[in-house]
Amino acid sequence: MKRYALFLGCTTPTQVLQYELSSRWICEQLGIELVDIEDFVCCGMNQTNISIEAGLLLASMNLALAEKRGLDILTLCAACTGQLAEAVEKLKDPETRNQVNSKLKTVDLEYEGKVNIKHISRILYEDIGIDRLKEKIRIDLSKLRIAPHYGCHTLKPESAFKNFDDPDNPKTLHHLISVTGAYPVDYETMNLCCGGKSFPVSEDIALSLVRRKLDNLMLRKIDFLVVQCQTCYLMYRDQQKAANQKFHGNYNIPVLLYPQLLGAAMGGDFRDDLGIHLNGISLADFAKKSGVDLTHIKR
Amino acid sequence: MELTELDPKFKSEVMSHKEAEGLNACFACGTCTAGCPIHEIFPEYDPRKLAKMVKLGMRAEVLASPTIWYCATCHNCEQRCPQNVKFFDILNVLKNMAAKKGYAPRSWIEQTKQIMKNGLIFPITEELRKKRKSLSLPDLRSHGEKAKKLIKLTDIDKVKGQGKA
Repeated sequence: MKRYALFLGCTTPTQVLQYELSSRWICEQLGIELVDIEDFVCCGMNQTNISIEAGLLLASMNLALAEKRGLDILTLCAACTGQLAEAVEKLKDPETRNQVNSKLKTVDLEYEGKVNIKHISRILYEDIGIDRLKEKIRIDLSKLRIAPHYGCHTLKPESAFKNFDDPDNPKTLHHLISVTGAYPVDYETMNLCCGGKSFPVSEDIALSLVRRKLDNLMLRKIDFLVVQCQTCYLMYRDQQKAANQKFHGNYNIPVLLYPQLLGAAMGGDFRDDLGIHLNGISLADFAKKSGVDLTHIKR
Repeated sequence: MELTELDPKFKSEVMSHKEAEGLNACFACGTCTAGCPIHEIFPEYDPRKLAKMVKLGMRAEVLASPTIWYCATCHNCEQRCPQNVKFFDILNVLKNMAAKKGYAPRSWIEQTKQIMKNGLIFPITEELRKKRKSLSLPDLRSHGEKAKKLIKLTDIDKVKGQGKA
């Protein structure tokens, strides 16, 4: 089975540990070997705001570190995925690559252009495949109705994600939800951005975006919103409380990270393997909603 | 505004950056603005208008505008542009130019400083390391040295910011 360098990014390993926990667990179960590279740094996405060059240098440094070990990169965060995949595209240009390498030399690194970037969901969808995932499902989650949220940077810019999904009408996460037995629910604001990258500049704007999606979701009969990026998670889960305060709302939509949903269907321990309690969801409630008899789940 | 306040060199300066080369293809159809989620809730942020302002040479207005920082980076503008203009990349060029003038929001500057300290945009505290250990996750260590060296090559560590962090 394939080995990947695990790119955790900044936010997952410091604020959304259950995303890391559940991702490591499902990868282990599926025979995907994850290699930790201690030297990995921020992908550079946010630095692009003040210096495109700095953003590209940080991304390139990470690519060079993975290349040195002969590994492709598995990402969890959508923005890291976009930033690194865009860097891969930019560095196909020999002139750009030479410029970057002349600077990477100062940290004893060089990038030749051999690394591929794949988000965990894409690896599940393409490398493992729906059929093989189906064989791993032990718990039937068909009672659950799930609203998918794709996140912008797993699909766009399209030039960095060729031959994958349609950014205007994506389906891959729908299929990944269906394989657990759960029902993926379409809704009008499905493609709406979470606003996470506006948040550090204007909380008002970011929360207004969050509100639009939550307003829409409150009208749908769903059990969970499922995301595949920790920033989207923080916006819809943690900032849901802020949106309630700001707009005097009564939003109460529980949010799961995709590996937690898949992990639950694969028979993972809700707490120890998947960290579902860290989402502010009571495990008993989760079991009840899912129609899962907790006593039947054995490691 | 007076015609004399327009800077005819602004557009060519913006377009001298590789990322903004396609600006001339923009015929101001407004597809970018129509698909922009930020514009929908905050109409003052308007990609079409910003592109036009650059073309007209409104240097001071564009670079000092707080709205250029509001983009959520969803990429709808370039995804939908019939002329294949990468407005997202053009906006980054504008933000970079504004940052040099001292207009960058302090939050981005602080994140850069944090990366120079430990490689990530968030601090690695003892409390966090304990929490990770309790979940049997591998330890996180500070590792900002290489990132610091690279960032210093770009001079953004010298950029001053505005507003709260």
